Amino acid sequence: MSGKVIFLLSVALSSAQQLCTPGASDGYKVRLSIRTALGDNAYVWSQNELFLFRATLAFAMRNHFDGQDFQVANIIVCDETPRVSFWFVVTWPDDATRLVDGGEVEQAIRKSRKRINSAFLLNDWTLEFVGIAPTLAASQLPATPPWLIAFGVVMGAVGAGFIILVVSAAVQKRRKKKENVEDVAEDEDSDVEAPAPKPLKNGSVRHEPSGVSNIAFSDDERVTQM
Amino acid sequence: MGEDARPNWDSPVQFLLACVSYAVGLGNVWRFPYLCQMHGGGGFLIPYLLMLFLEGVPLFYMELAIGQKMRLGSIGAWSAINPYLGGVGLASIVASVYLCLYYNIINAWSFWYLFNSFQSFLPWSDCPVNSNLTGPLEECQKASSTKYFFFRETLNISSSIEENGGIHTGQVLCFVLAWVITYLFIIHGIKSSGKVVYFTATFPYVVLVIYLIRGLTLPGAIHGITYMFTPKMEELANPTAWINAATQIFFSLGLGFGSLIAFSSYNQYNNNFEHQAFTVAIINSGTSIFASIVTFSIYGFKATVNYENCLERMRILLLNSFNLAEDTINKSNVLDWIKTLNATYPEQFAELGNKVEDCDLNDELDTAVEGVGLAFIVYSEAIQNMPLPQLWSVLYFIMLLLIGLGSMLGNMTAITTPLRDLKILSKVSNEVFNGILCLIFLLLGLAFTTPSGNYWFTMFNDYGASFSLLFVVLIEIITVSYLYGIKRFEKDIEDMLGHRPNWYLKIMWMIVSPLLLIALFIFYIVNYIRGGTPTYQAWDKELGKTVVTDYPIFGQVFIAILLASAVSCVPLTALYVYCTNRKHSTSIKESAISA
Repeated sequence: MSGKVIFLLSVALSSAQQLCTPGASDGYKVRLSIRTALGDNAYVWSQNELFLFRATLAFAMRNHFDGQDFQVANIIVCDETPRVSFWFVVTWPDDATRLVDGGEVEQAIRKSRKRINSAFLLNDWTLEFVGIAPTLAASQLPATPPWLIAFGVVMGAVGAGFIILVVSAAVQKRRKKKENVEDVAEDEDSDVEAPAPKPLKNGSVRHEPSGVSNIAFSDDERVTQM
Repeated sequence: MGEDARPNWDSPVQFLLACVSYAVGLGNVWRFPYLCQMHGGGGFLIPYLLMLFLEGVPLFYMELAIGQKMRLGSIGAWSAINPYLGGVGLASIVASVYLCLYYNIINAWSFWYLFNSFQSFLPWSDCPVNSNLTGPLEECQKASSTKYFFFRETLNISSSIEENGGIHTGQVLCFVLAWVITYLFIIHGIKSSGKVVYFTATFPYVVLVIYLIRGLTLPGAIHGITYMFTPKMEELANPTAWINAATQIFFSLGLGFGSLIAFSSYNQYNNNFEHQAFTVAIINSGTSIFASIVTFSIYGFKATVNYENCLERMRILLLNSFNLAEDTINKSNVLDWIKTLNATYPEQFAELGNKVEDCDLNDELDTAVEGVGLAFIVYSEAIQNMPLPQLWSVLYFIMLLLIGLGSMLGNMTAITTPLRDLKILSKVSNEVFNGILCLIFLLLGLAFTTPSGNYWFTMFNDYGASFSLLFVVLIEIITVSYLYGIKRFEKDIEDMLGHRPNWYLKIMWMIVSPLLLIALFIFYIVNYIRGGTPTYQAWDKELGKTVVTDYPIFGQVFIAILLASAVSCVPLTALYVYCTNRKHSTSIKESAISA
C-alpha cells in the first residue's frame, strides 16, 4: 500500500518537474538581488524563503482568481541558481497537469506586486520578474510648477527695486528744483557780495564763473593714484 | 561745455571692476577649458600666455587709450582720429547690436535652470515616465536626462531651423526678466552700472573659490586635474593650437565691440589706464585658468561617476547572464571577471553581444565639450551627483548669471555711449533712451525663444560677432599705427599719463599685432571657403542626439548678411564722408565764386 503511494507521488513529482522547465512559455524567471538591496542586513536564501515565495505567489493567484483555492503545491519551482534566480510555473488547483496561462499569471503578479515585494523587503528592481515590467509611479506634477513660484518671487523683487529707483529719482529731481528756486531767490537778495569763487579739483580757484576750464593746462599732479 | 558735462566713474576702481566684469564672460568658463583639453592640457598655457602679451595687452591698451583721450564713444572717437573712418565705430555698434540680441537668451536659460533648482529632486536628474507608465520616455532614454531637460524641456527644440512653432512661455518669462534686470543695471548710464559692477565683478570669484574647494574634495577630481595638467607637448606643433590661443585671447578680452572705448571715455583725463590695462588682461587670463581647474575637477568627478556606473552595469550583466552568486563579483574585479568568463564560456559571452560595454576612465575623460553644452548639460550632470545638489546648482547658475549680465552691461554701454554722443539723441533722457533700446532688443530677441531659436542663436554666435570683430580691430590697429601715426599716439599717451609707452608696446602696435591679426583673418577666410556649406547641429528626436545638418538657403543668406553688414560699414561710411565733403567743398567754391 505504501509502495503504491510512493510510486504515485514520484509519478506526480516527475510530471510536475516536466511542467516546469527554464524557458517555459507560461512560466517566469525570478531574480532576487538581496545583497544589493539590504547590504549587511541581507538574509540568506534558503528553502524556507523559497517556501515563503511560493506561498506569496499562491496568495497573489488567489487574489486574482476569486474562488480558486491555490495551494503552495500549485507553484512549481525549478532551475535554482546561486544568483538566487529560478523559474516557476503555476498549475490549476483542481487540475495539477494544466498550467495557468502566462498572461493571467502576469496580471496576478502586477496586482499584488507591492505585497510580494514587501514580504521580502525588496522593491521592483531587486525582486525581478523577467518579462514583467515594473509599474513606475507617475511623476507628480504640482499645480503650480515650482519654477514659476521662484520666478514670481524674483520678478516681484526686481519690480519693487524698479519702482523704488524711479520714485527716488523723481523725488530727487523735485528736491533739486526746489533748491534751484531757493538759490535763485537768494541770489536776487544778496547782490552785495560777489559770488564765492568755486574751487576746481586741482586746487586752483576759478575767479570767473563763466569761464571754461581747460584741464590740459593744469600743472599739478598728472597721474592720479589708483 | 555747458551744464551736461560728461559723467565720470566715481573712482578708478569702478572703471577697473567694470572692465573686469565685462571681460570675464561665459567664454572664460566654457571655451578655455575645452581648448586646454583639445590642445594638450598644461602645454596650451604656453601659446595662450604668449598671445596674451603679443596681442591681448597691446590691443586692450590701445582701445583704452583711444577712449580716454577722445572722451567719446566709438563713432565719435574714430571720426576724430580720421574723418573717413567713423565707419569703424559704426561696425562696432552693429557687432554689439547682434551680440546684445542673442546674448541675453543665455541669461534667460540660466534663470530657467536657477528657478528649477528649487525642488526636492532636480528635474534633470530623472527621466519622466512615459504614458503607459512602463518606462522612461524614449527620447529621454536614448539621450540622457540632462540632455533631455535641456533640449526638450528648456528649449523645446524643433528638428531643424526651418520648423518654427509657438514660443516657450517659461523661456519668454525668463528672457523678459533678464532684460528688465539689464535695464535696471544701465538705467542711469554709468552712474548705475558703476555701482552694479562692484557685485557682478567680485561675487563670481566667491562662487569659483567655493566650487574649487568642493570640486577638489569630490572623488575622482584628481583624475581630471592630472589629465588636464599633463602637458602633451607634441600638440604645440599643431598650428591650430596657436590660432585657437590667439582667437581665444582676442575674443575673451572683448576687443572691437567699442565697450572698452565707451568705458574709458568716462575716465578722468589723467587716469592711469596703463596699470589698469595690464591688470585687467592678467585678471581675465587668470580667471580662465582658475575656471578650468574647477571645470577639470568637475570633469574628473563626472568621469569617475560614469565609469563606476558602467562597472556596476557590467557587474549586474555578468551576474544575471552567468547566474553567479551576488558577492562573487564586486566593482574592483569586474574587469578581471570579464576576461575570465570570456575565456571559459566564449559562446555564451558572444551571445551578450553589444550589451558588453568597454568601461574606460580615459574614454570618459576624453569627451571634450564646450559652449552651451558644457555649461548647461555637463555641469548639471555633475551637480546632480553631488551631495546637496540644490545648493550647488543655485550657486553655479547665479555665477553664470552674474558673469553673463556683467558682459551684457558692457555691450549695452558700447551701444548707448556713441549714440548718445550724437546731437540728435542727446536731448532724450538717459532712462528713456536706455528703456527704448532694451525694449527693442527684447522684442526682437523673442525670436530666440521659439523652438528653432537655439539654431538661430548658434548662427548669431558663430557668425554675428566673430569675423567682423577681427576686421574692425585690424583696421583699428593699422589706423592708429600708420594713418594716425604712432608718434601722435605716443604724444597723446604722454599727455595723459606723463610718460611715453614702453618700446615693447610700440613694436607690438606697429608690427606684431597687425601681423597676427592678418594671419587670423586669412585663417578665418580660408576656413570659410574650405568648409563648404555652413552646417549646424540639429537635434534628432528619434536618435536622441545632434546631427550635422546644412543650413538652408535663407540661412546662408542670413549668415552673409550678418558678416557683410558689419564689415561694409567701414567702406560705406568712408564713401559717404567723401561724397559729403566733395559736395561741401563744391558748394563752398560756388558760394566763394558767386560772392
